[in-house]
Amino acid sequence: MSMPPLVISHATKRFGAFTAVSDLSLTVPEGAIIGFLGPNGAGKSTSLRMALGVMQPDSGSVSLFGKPPEISTLKRVGFLPEERGLYKKMTTRATIEHFARLKGLTARDARARAIELLDMSGLGEFKSTRISKLSKGMAQKVQILSTLAHRPEFLILDEPFSGLDPVNQQVLEDLIRTEHDRGATILFSTHVMEHAERLCDRIVMMARGRKVFDGTLDDAFASLGRGARIAVAEGFDLAAALAPAGFEAHRAPENGPGDAWRISLPRGTGAQDALRAAIDAGAPIVGFAPEEARLRDVFVSLVGEADAAALRESAAGEAA
Amino acid sequence: MRNVYLIFRRDYLGYVRAWGFWLSLAAVPLFMLIGGTFAVFAAKSSPVRYYAVVDPAGIYAAAIEAEFARDDEAAGQQARDLAATMDLPPEHQAALESGNAAPQRKFILVPAPAASIDALRPYLMGERLVSGPLGDKSLFAVFIPSTDGSSLEYWSDDVNVVALRAVAANAMRRLARQDALSEAGLGADFLAEVDAGALQVPAYRIRTVVEQATTGSEVTMADRAPVYVAGGLAYFLWLMIFSIIQYLLMGTIEERSNKIFDTLLTSVRLPELLAGKLLAVFAVTSTMMLSWGLFAFGASLFATSQIPGGASLLSPFLAAFANPAIIIPGLISFLLGYVMYGMIFMALGSLCDTIQEAQTLLSPMMILLMLPMFAIFIAFQDPGSPIVDIASWIPVFTPFLLILRMPHNPPMWEVIAQMGIMALTALAILWFATKIYRAGAVHGAGIGDLAGVFKRMLGRKG
Repeated sequence: MSMPPLVISHATKRFGAFTAVSDLSLTVPEGAIIGFLGPNGAGKSTSLRMALGVMQPDSGSVSLFGKPPEISTLKRVGFLPEERGLYKKMTTRATIEHFARLKGLTARDARARAIELLDMSGLGEFKSTRISKLSKGMAQKVQILSTLAHRPEFLILDEPFSGLDPVNQQVLEDLIRTEHDRGATILFSTHVMEHAERLCDRIVMMARGRKVFDGTLDDAFASLGRGARIAVAEGFDLAAALAPAGFEAHRAPENGPGDAWRISLPRGTGAQDALRAAIDAGAPIVGFAPEEARLRDVFVSLVGEADAAALRESAAGEAA
Repeated sequence: MRNVYLIFRRDYLGYVRAWGFWLSLAAVPLFMLIGGTFAVFAAKSSPVRYYAVVDPAGIYAAAIEAEFARDDEAAGQQARDLAATMDLPPEHQAALESGNAAPQRKFILVPAPAASIDALRPYLMGERLVSGPLGDKSLFAVFIPSTDGSSLEYWSDDVNVVALRAVAANAMRRLARQDALSEAGLGADFLAEVDAGALQVPAYRIRTVVEQATTGSEVTMADRAPVYVAGGLAYFLWLMIFSIIQYLLMGTIEERSNKIFDTLLTSVRLPELLAGKLLAVFAVTSTMMLSWGLFAFGASLFATSQIPGGASLLSPFLAAFANPAIIIPGLISFLLGYVMYGMIFMALGSLCDTIQEAQTLLSPMMILLMLPMFAIFIAFQDPGSPIVDIASWIPVFTPFLLILRMPHNPPMWEVIAQMGIMALTALAILWFATKIYRAGAVHGAGIGDLAGVFKRMLGRKG
């Protein structure tokens, strides 16, 4: 039986008094595509750097394909760091070739692979162009191609969508799916929940250096109670009005007409039942929306509004 | 080794493909060519000038001309002495001995066209010309005795050319001595005869009886060449270390600012990365210096080929280069010295984010590098000096001073001990610099945060 590509066991990493990662345990089974979610500063990059052996945990252990991270096992891994960097004076082809050779490809194979990847990704005409002459997005594409050049069995991508425009984000999503279809195991970090929703069959959520969730998307949504949103005229106490009908209502921080309330739906009831109860209670309704569960809501329910706000800031910063 | 080679290859090609490398490569030969050509041109194009002496008796003019003749004879003798150390064919030797090897005279005496400075003014200011062996020219300078007879005034429109006045001053001194000797009843050549009678002090090199029987005892270029070669090697090492500062600092800063270390460190081990980078810079500077060396060697070969028997000038130096007693410890010192200094610079570069930060490091580094330069200078002057002896045990000086001491046959135990200390120091620096490099390049410690650097260096792990 083959060893899982990555097993992190009770790993903790401190920088002085600051604990960047606390008691993290994580197993990435072969063939999985896992999203590693959390706001900036949650400990995602430190965890990935520990996974690769770039940093050693202060306590706990890491194994890659059943061994401690070392260069021989890292040849089976493709890593895209969060802080992108390439040699600016090298051409795109030479860059991919260089990193492929460092991962063990022969000069001839590395060159052929570089040309193949550049042609495949629409950068064929930039083979002899220096990195410094490329746009930021194109340079990032080259770095991603460099990560894939040696056909790694395990891809670790740290914020791969960061800095890409929507079109290229879609291209990258397709590329990740292609690599997954090829058989690669993929672990990628992001603070943009939508990417994880579309791509992952399992997610790991981090907040303040701790793992707060590890499971499938279905598990994540199941952990979140279903609900509905009702907006009423300002000053009306919907919580008191719905309580007799068995619905629990909380004020929701949404901007819009009237006061927004989130209604938790008890098992066996639906959003329409909550709406009917509100009408029966004489609530001056100005808006209604059955709630569609999103990963962000799962995150909020797991870590609270403060960390969720941090996540929103990360995503907003990214969009800017 | 493959990874070291790949890192080396990328860095080396990165450096040599930059136009600045080729500019540096071409700069020194070009400078030598332009400088040499300029010197030759300046010497050849220097004008021949007319001068005159207002001296009805002709005593001063004769004294000045005699001084010129003596200078010419001295220059000729110097050339003949040099020729005597060379393996010249007999016909060239004879030609030198009989001929005058002195360069062409630049000042020619012409009759004074007038006797007063007012009357001579138009000639000196180029308004009127005087006739001479090279045709009509303006008068460059004139000597006129002062009215009280206490001095011989020198008048010219260009007082920055001092050679003629200096010759005249020597001539007047000699004339005064002759007058004094004459008054004392002694002949004009009295002093020269006294000098000729003084004991000569020839130099001999003490050798074993067997060596003396084969090579003789006279001091030749073969005795001095090893010292020059060792000096050249020490200076070459210093120059190389001086040159690598910018490569290592800037190269590391570029990678740090490019955020490339994480990618690299998932493909190569840190020691492989450092070895590759250090080798690349070594190869770049070696390429540059070997190119310059080959150019200088080619130029020397060309120059000596133009002089009959000139090849004999180079052979002692080539023999010194081929001497294993000098070259083997020299190369070991050279490599260990490079590793020591190279790792220090690379580690410091890894702590800098910007060129401005690196520039703040450059001054202390220059001062650090001037110390070995002083040591080289002292050792070259007096290799037996106690200061040199003591300094050669200090690892930062050892690479330079051991090279310089080798031609003087230091005790073997000292050579081995100093090389051992150097090797241990190089290993210690390698270990320490790797820690700094990891702290800077991998963990982002900066030069402005030395406490953070040490914390990360001394951290239990990672």
